[in-house]
Amino acid sequence: MWRLLQDDGASAAGGLAGDEMLATRVGALASPPVLRLYTYRPHAALVGRFQDVRQEVCVDWCIENDIDIGRRPTGGGAIIMGPDQLGVALALPRRSEGFDGGARARMARFSDGIVRGLSALGVAAEFQGKNDLGVRGRKIAGLGLHRAPSGSLLFHASILVDLDVALMSRVLRLPLPAETDADRDAIALRTTTVRTEAGSRVPMDAVRHEIACGFAVAFGVDLESSECDSEERDLAALLEQEKYRRDAWVWQRTAVPDATGAARTKTGGGDLEVRVRLAGGMIKAVAIEGDFFATDAAVTAVESGLRWHPTKTDAIRHTVRSLWTESRDATVLADELATAVLRAIANAHHAVDPYGCFVTPETARG
Amino acid sequence: MAGDPPIATPADRHYERTRHVWAHRNADSGRVRIGIDALALESLGELAYVALRATGSSVARGESVGTLEAAKMTSDIATPIAGKIVARNDVVLGDPLAVNREPYGGGWLLELEPSAWEDDAAELVTGSDVAEWAAGEAARIAAEGRLD
Repeated sequence: MWRLLQDDGASAAGGLAGDEMLATRVGALASPPVLRLYTYRPHAALVGRFQDVRQEVCVDWCIENDIDIGRRPTGGGAIIMGPDQLGVALALPRRSEGFDGGARARMARFSDGIVRGLSALGVAAEFQGKNDLGVRGRKIAGLGLHRAPSGSLLFHASILVDLDVALMSRVLRLPLPAETDADRDAIALRTTTVRTEAGSRVPMDAVRHEIACGFAVAFGVDLESSECDSEERDLAALLEQEKYRRDAWVWQRTAVPDATGAARTKTGGGDLEVRVRLAGGMIKAVAIEGDFFATDAAVTAVESGLRWHPTKTDAIRHTVRSLWTESRDATVLADELATAVLRAIANAHHAVDPYGCFVTPETARG
Repeated sequence: MAGDPPIATPADRHYERTRHVWAHRNADSGRVRIGIDALALESLGELAYVALRATGSSVARGESVGTLEAAKMTSDIATPIAGKIVARNDVVLGDPLAVNREPYGGGWLLELEPSAWEDDAAELVTGSDVAEWAAGEAARIAAEGRLD
């Protein structure tokens, strides 16, 4: 038996404190596993555990427009949360039956409940890259995992039931420009929503119901509706005040240097432009554009596969080749794409100003 | 995997059995360096970020002294010994992949002035026991794909 908690209108600090409280209680065996399905009040920008808020979020705009800012205990990138994005928090004891595997395998296993729930709504989502759920390569949910010192695992997901791309592009510093409608269309191509895929304005509660059922089926458990007891509310309030509301938590900086770079090249199959955002020796984000031909799914598969990928040359070439092979009709070769990514990385390492250095490297076509 | 060389676990240090944090005592200074062992790194993959507690704080055995992120999974780092943190390897904060490159050398994390070394060390694996423990853990991680 798992507990099922459902709530709406969480603040950034309150929502995250509640999740950590549940993980703490489960780790201490003071609670059975808990599935929490909830939404935030409009709106919250949540950065990953180690991200620099000022690098990821348009802070001044958020302050002017009453956008809450918080830091998750889980990793990954910045997200926007509100009434149209369903937050999923699953707290389990660290040693739980059926949850073997590395981080990626466990993330895929945990997300099975979401996949089943979305399927019931007519949305065919699948695990993609390291930690996203996508539909035909377009992201519909982001996933994260935290091994808490209390002895529990906290799985986080944010499901895009709907998404205001224009708002997101004002709140978050995205790897693609977002000044024009065309820019925002390009961003929108990387994501999709439950309502877009279902073809109707599915109510949030219907999504929540199906996701809960999906987890129950996927893990063979019964879910019992539950609320926090007074001890849990007190612990959540303490975590909110002592951790998640504190500047020392929200505004902390990492010593890992952030860098951005781009490379533009002419290939036999068309112009190709790649932008990268790095965190030290890891790629945080890649955006691929140009007038070459390839399916959107092929492009987003590479973008997704290179997220949180080491910048090592051989590893990048291998990953691009393995992902691009599915795009047999593409007019750009895998090696040309990999070379452009590597050039963008080199430019990021050497860039004085972001996106300031463009090159035309040799291509695999000679 | 059969045929792969064994993952390095030098027997000159002590290992926490399940959390895979090593401790190495300098015989001259008595101070103990801690770091993440190669078995853990095999499971975690490349580290994107590391955060470590500041020097000056006293910590209990098993207490979190930092956090790391690999492949979007974040995890606390539990110290295998109690003591006062006297040095921090700032290199790995800016270059977390140094931990992957040199887990037992330049990728160390913290140095502690131990408060109960003999008691804590007795709970850890060392010397001739390391090889058998490491082989068992390598097999378990290969089968289950995870750390505790």
